[in-house]
Amino acid sequence: MRGMVVPKDSLGELVSKLSDRYKIFGPKRKGTEWIFGEVESADEMDLRYSTTILPPRKFFLPTSERLFSFRMDGRVEEPEEPDIPALIFGIHSCDLNALLLLDAVFSSGQFPLPSYVKRRERTALVALTCTEVGDHCFCESMGTGPSPAGGYDVLLTDLEGEYLMESGSRRGDEILALARGREASKGDFDRKAEAIERAKSKFKRRVDLRDIDELFLKNLDNPIWERLGEKDLACGLCVNSCPTCFCFDVRDKLDFPMDSGVRYKEWDACVLLEFSQVALGGNFRRDRSARIRQFIGHNLGWGGASQFREFRGKAKCVGCGRCIRYCPAGIDLTEVLKELRGA
Amino acid sequence: MRLENPYLAEECVIKGSRRQTPDVYTYAISYPRGSRRLRTPFMPGQFIMISVLGIGEAPFSFSAWDDEKAIFETTIRTVGNVTSAIMRRGEGQRIWVRGPYGRGWPMEEARGKDILIVAGGIGMAPLRPVIEMVARNRRSYGGLEILYGAKTPEDLLFADEFDSWRSIPGAELLLTVDSVPRGTKWDHGVGVVTTLFDKIRTEPNDSIVMMCGPEIMMKFAVKGLLAMGFRPEDIYLSLERRMECGVAQCGHCQIGPKFVCKDGPVFPYSELRGLPDLLA
Repeated sequence: MRGMVVPKDSLGELVSKLSDRYKIFGPKRKGTEWIFGEVESADEMDLRYSTTILPPRKFFLPTSERLFSFRMDGRVEEPEEPDIPALIFGIHSCDLNALLLLDAVFSSGQFPLPSYVKRRERTALVALTCTEVGDHCFCESMGTGPSPAGGYDVLLTDLEGEYLMESGSRRGDEILALARGREASKGDFDRKAEAIERAKSKFKRRVDLRDIDELFLKNLDNPIWERLGEKDLACGLCVNSCPTCFCFDVRDKLDFPMDSGVRYKEWDACVLLEFSQVALGGNFRRDRSARIRQFIGHNLGWGGASQFREFRGKAKCVGCGRCIRYCPAGIDLTEVLKELRGA
Repeated sequence: MRLENPYLAEECVIKGSRRQTPDVYTYAISYPRGSRRLRTPFMPGQFIMISVLGIGEAPFSFSAWDDEKAIFETTIRTVGNVTSAIMRRGEGQRIWVRGPYGRGWPMEEARGKDILIVAGGIGMAPLRPVIEMVARNRRSYGGLEILYGAKTPEDLLFADEFDSWRSIPGAELLLTVDSVPRGTKWDHGVGVVTTLFDKIRTEPNDSIVMMCGPEIMMKFAVKGLLAMGFRPEDIYLSLERRMECGVAQCGHCQIGPKFVCKDGPVFPYSELRGLPDLLA
């Protein structure tokens, strides 16, 4: 099955059928923004959303998660990851590509993280070609959007009044089998291409990725980092809202009366002071300038394919624009890049 | 197939400890053979994650390893929560260990070559297995020159082994300290480790340098060695970074595109040149 076209008003029926098999998470309104939250029907979702506050990374790497529980006598218990099939409905191309980078960190390396691998396996991804390009978006320049090239089970593209549904996996075939519509024609794929072109014309931000690793490594002493360090509040919003930031702390917590406890991991951020601190107070990124350089350098420069051979994308950054949107100090990595290029 | 949780550690037992300096102890730790969570053989320069349940986990190098007795040694300076908790645990008590991780010293590349060791303070701990390996396989390696500096004479680790190191055929041990307290007998150098450099007899050609110490020491030592004609790809450094996972996931140890836990902790200087947040 190459693809099918379904009328927009049949989406409710499809979501209802899917909700029998999957716990569904989709884009929902929250005030003036959107979030990914659990939904039971298509009405609860807003598929014309721009970007959610937090990316779907939270479903695969929760803010805090138990690595194992222990008793002080040494007995250890591993967490059981539930088997409930989940489905993320309407994930944009940027956030989908971000999962491919997280895969390089947590599933394709030498030491896969079982909880992550299981969550990825049990979660179906129904992606959405993005037509709602926001002011901060630049996925097109990063090669990660507005429509994904793969990594989805199903890809939806809004063709005005109807959706083109394409399958990208066996699970996708099963989902398409639940939908009611007609087989897609060449004309429908042409309309998809037009929708993508229309979306592309909306981008206000573009970045130039030529020789980008080298550019950052050549500019480690550029005075821009000092200036950004002065501005930076080191609040960590950029990292927390980033779809590809993966860093975490590992800690122990004892339960009362101290005969048992848990070892758990919790989101951490390179822009925070303690992140690179070692014994005796040594700190390899004490200055804010070094920390913001790490965040931006890792995202645009040395963090993508040059860090993970398994990752086929270009940079760690997928161009979702969240870090720009939420930065209280107005730090904008696309502007930093322009300045480094001398533009 | 059920995936192994990489964060689960092996239960090990502290068999004993020896005081090295006022705040450094070497612990002998016995481990169960055939464990997947603590895999042997160890390679000199790799590291392990040691934890005390309820306190936390930290990375350490191991300073000796004997697979026949199923015992390894680790030399630890008591500076924080985990290291203090390890020190408080006496003989017979349990600790949890996983690893080893990372890339160790270039023992293969060093075969047939002269080895120059440059160590500062606690930095001698991960180099001790190199000295032992050379001693055990004496004919596989060329000359062995050891330069070792510390703050004061009592901060030198493994002082009781210096004579046996000197007795390794073709080995040389040069010592220096920053200062000598009044009344302490001291027949060696005074000054930072680079003040020993004009005594180096190792020729830059066909030799390997292995270095571990505070990063500020390594910065000047690398500079000195490069000036003497040692090649960047022959100078190996072991780096310290914050590590919470050991398996290239937690992100703390990153230097540019490198994970110190996975790509290191031992790197040839040629791989580090030009990277951020380094040798400051």
